[in-house]
Amino acid sequence: MEIQWSLVLFTVLTGGAGWALGCVAVDEFTQKTKNDTNFIAAIVAIVLAAVGGIASVTHLSHPENMLAALSHPTSGIFTEALLVGLTAVFALVYVILLKRNAAASARKLFAVLAAVFGIVLAFASGASYMMDAQTAWNTPLLPLAYGGTTMPLGVAVYLAVALAKHEEGMGQYFMLLLVGGAVAAITGLFYGVATGVASQEPLLMWGLVVAVGGVVPAVCGWLGRKMPPSALALAGVAAGASFAGCVALRCAMWATSAVVNNFFGML
Amino acid sequence: MRNALVVDLDRCSGCFSCEVACKMENGIALGSYYNKVLTVGPFGEFPKLSQYFLPVACQQCENAPCVHVCPTGASYRDPDTNVVLVDKAKCIGCKYCMMACPYGVRSWNQEEKVVEKCTLCGHLTSNGELPACVHNCPGGARFYGDLDDPSSDVSKALAAAEPDAVHTLTDVGNAPATSYILSKRYAEWQDSSTLQGAGRYLQKKGE
Repeated sequence: MEIQWSLVLFTVLTGGAGWALGCVAVDEFTQKTKNDTNFIAAIVAIVLAAVGGIASVTHLSHPENMLAALSHPTSGIFTEALLVGLTAVFALVYVILLKRNAAASARKLFAVLAAVFGIVLAFASGASYMMDAQTAWNTPLLPLAYGGTTMPLGVAVYLAVALAKHEEGMGQYFMLLLVGGAVAAITGLFYGVATGVASQEPLLMWGLVVAVGGVVPAVCGWLGRKMPPSALALAGVAAGASFAGCVALRCAMWATSAVVNNFFGML
Repeated sequence: MRNALVVDLDRCSGCFSCEVACKMENGIALGSYYNKVLTVGPFGEFPKLSQYFLPVACQQCENAPCVHVCPTGASYRDPDTNVVLVDKAKCIGCKYCMMACPYGVRSWNQEEKVVEKCTLCGHLTSNGELPACVHNCPGGARFYGDLDDPSSDVSKALAAAEPDAVHTLTDVGNAPATSYILSKRYAEWQDSSTLQGAGRYLQKKGE
């Protein structure tokens, strides 16, 4: 099947936004940052989620009929739309609370809500493709890979924002980036090997998903744990590499789509 | 009520009448189909080679995945006839139903940018007529009717067939309601998941 770039961007950007909001929520509890980092990171996450949402709409021929989705609220697309909406709304409320110096408990609550819905979306967007007819997609390893590969992207985006704001003591987030890189490599690898996608698209899966999208961010996380002068550059490299890995996984998924039969040749 | 088709492949000569009649009746564009006649084979060891024709359309699955994945309810099951249909006014063109169909028997209407499929000629059957593919089959190989009605054409055709000659396309939990009759004396039925090929010609995987 042709690569659906709108959906590739949607799942990558919203997944990255979800994990970035996860870092914001963690920081609400650990209080490692001081310089408006969480405000900007939450704004960046909202923008990523919005751009992703808009990207997903571009693959529809008749988005004007989308309101009919209210009549069928159990479909994957409805679930995704709901999660994007809730993530953005909770993140927006968090940003307003932050700007108004609201109570810490309220900020924490909405930061956690935005993070939970955002991270759930990172996995749920992969679950939408689990269909009995699609032999290479119909496995829980697919949503795990969707969510797992976006973890280092979100963490790296958060780190890049924090380091651009001259935050110090971000070592624990670099360790989180190390974990995220490992998660991306492992979930991508499991999906690729279990479904045979890795043997059909070895360059995408081994080269980009595992090496670039998993190992490179993990190495950046390891190198950045002691906050060297190049920490911002490491975060940038990790973000770029993670983005490439996320895109590669989704491209490999579309490229290896295989239905039981494609009798009309329309797929 | 479970309206569906039964296709007797023992009688099918691969003449394409059903496909042409369907396209004319429903005004289907070139390159698109509601119904398509495929050739399976030849397979087997020479000189014992077999081949049969396989007309495919929406299988009217009882557990239709296209209905489950449709975000707007555009793919739905008609409550009166139990036929799976597409309400084009609700279709957003996401193509999830096409991805979810195990047989790839949904078409994309390039002009209207919506998904289409076999309607079992509801505009004809609601007036007591037969679907165009059934009416125009010169071999009398196609039957239409209610599988729950023992006196319907489909029930009679299935009752008259040898039990081991009744087949469906590969069931991945969707429970296709369309049945194919193919007797072993003509050809060995091939599980559709074991077939591969492009265009109209399908071979067993590995052959």
